[in-house]
Amino acid sequence: MREASTAATARPVWQRPVVQFVVVGLIVAALLAWITGVLGERLAREQAMEDARATTELIANTVIEPALSSGLLTTEASDLDQFDRLVRSRVLGGDIMRVKVWSTDGRVLYSDEPRLIGQTFALGDDQQQVLADGGSNADLSDLSRSENEFDSQLGHVLEVYTRVKAPNGEALLFELYLSDDNLQARADELFSLFRPLTVGGILVFLIIATPLVWVVSRRADAAAADRERYLVMATEASDAERRRVARDLHDGVVQDLAGTSFALSGLARDVGGGSTSATSQQLSSELERLASAVRTSLLALRSLLVEIYPPQLDGHGLGAALQDLVASAEQGGLDVTLRVDGATSMSEQSTALVWRTAQECVRNATRHGDPSTLDISVNVVGSPPVATLVVSDNGRGFDPNGAVPPDSFGLRGLRDLAREADGTLTVDSTPGRGTSVTLEVPAT
Amino acid sequence: MNTTTAKRAGTIALVGIALVGVAVPAVAGGGVEREGNCSARSDWKLKASPDDGRIEVRGIVDSDVGGQRWRWKMLHNGSVSARGRATTESGSGEFRVRRLMVNVPGDDRIGWRAKNRRTGEVCRGNLTF
Repeated sequence: MREASTAATARPVWQRPVVQFVVVGLIVAALLAWITGVLGERLAREQAMEDARATTELIANTVIEPALSSGLLTTEASDLDQFDRLVRSRVLGGDIMRVKVWSTDGRVLYSDEPRLIGQTFALGDDQQQVLADGGSNADLSDLSRSENEFDSQLGHVLEVYTRVKAPNGEALLFELYLSDDNLQARADELFSLFRPLTVGGILVFLIIATPLVWVVSRRADAAAADRERYLVMATEASDAERRRVARDLHDGVVQDLAGTSFALSGLARDVGGGSTSATSQQLSSELERLASAVRTSLLALRSLLVEIYPPQLDGHGLGAALQDLVASAEQGGLDVTLRVDGATSMSEQSTALVWRTAQECVRNATRHGDPSTLDISVNVVGSPPVATLVVSDNGRGFDPNGAVPPDSFGLRGLRDLAREADGTLTVDSTPGRGTSVTLEVPAT
Repeated sequence: MNTTTAKRAGTIALVGIALVGVAVPAVAGGGVEREGNCSARSDWKLKASPDDGRIEVRGIVDSDVGGQRWRWKMLHNGSVSARGRATTESGSGEFRVRRLMVNVPGDDRIGWRAKNRRTGEVCRGNLTF
């Protein structure tokens, strides 16, 4: 008999609940890591933008605006020198990579890149809006623009600009370029806040739950194995009991009835053979009728014995046993077709399963299906050989997915027995269109 | 011309030569250097050289006397670009000032002024970069 542990290890690795649980958990953890990474980067970018705006406004108000001079508006050399020294000593450095001061007409009044000073570029809508309304704006720099022709070495930078006022009240645009390189570091920093709550939580859950799932899975496997073992034991006990009952009936009642039948037939011949009296003839006729009734009962009892347990249930006797099985149904008017091919190679175990399945199907068909035809076929083909039993009828059928009738345990039990024997049992039925049951089981 | 007039003319010429300075050959790397005498015993030097899109300007006054206190100015196209105070070093008797100026389009006229706060000696130098 198969043990639970054997059944569990025979299952492919990827079908084991523990493996599926761990794999799904790791996938979820990876998904969460990716999502939190994306969210972290987005949050970091937004925060970096906000920080950049705040930094730019602070520098504009505290450093740049107080240092603006009227000479800077006309790009006086000495004013540029002083402003340049201020910018290089107090503004540039760290994340700040470029400084520009624009006039409203797009002229670069100052840049720490001196070649830009005095050049004119078209201001964008956002820059015009900041010049008109104040506030600040930040965006990733487009280094392909002509104003950035000397900035290709800067890499990814954030452009942040805000409005400043010259001593004469003229609005100027103060622009900073900030390094974008620390965005990923900031995203990692934010991600590290989420990591313990998401990925870490999932991993901890996996670590805690995996042993529990393993234990539950083991118990479920053991319970399934026990259930199958009990089913086999019950079937074997039932077979033993059937054999005993059949043997007792065959050796007792059947022999008695046969003797009684012969005795009655002989007595009828004796009574009617030598006498022509009406009484004798009537008595002989009555005795013959009684003998016939006893033979009918004897035939019915033998069919019952076959149904209880066939006398020779192996590959060679399967055809005869199935014929005996359907004999009573044929007598009842059912048109039965029986085909058995290659059954001689079947083992005793597979033969018993095929016969028991056929028995259950015939019983269900005659009891519930009210069919007019019944087809039974047994084929053994393939290497290794597989025995295929198909029992089909044209009865009223049923819905296999519908409510399970209380007396349908037979098919369910057979399905378990088929699985226990590494086989399959499939039921194909439609209300009004009959039923077809197919059993496939290793023949040897 | 009498003797007094000749002496006065000679003095003016010497002071003029001293204040204007003497041009020296351009230094390596595209720089320009000038030097000259101040109004008394001190000497001055003015150097300008390119520095990453800017002009590195170095002004030097050498009085051979340590501990003298001076005021100085650097001019860029006629306006004061930088100013400050300095004291000559005890060993060399000179002080040095280094500043970066923005290299604006066209010629950059750079001036170097220094005045001894005690003696009133004046140093004046100019160059065009």
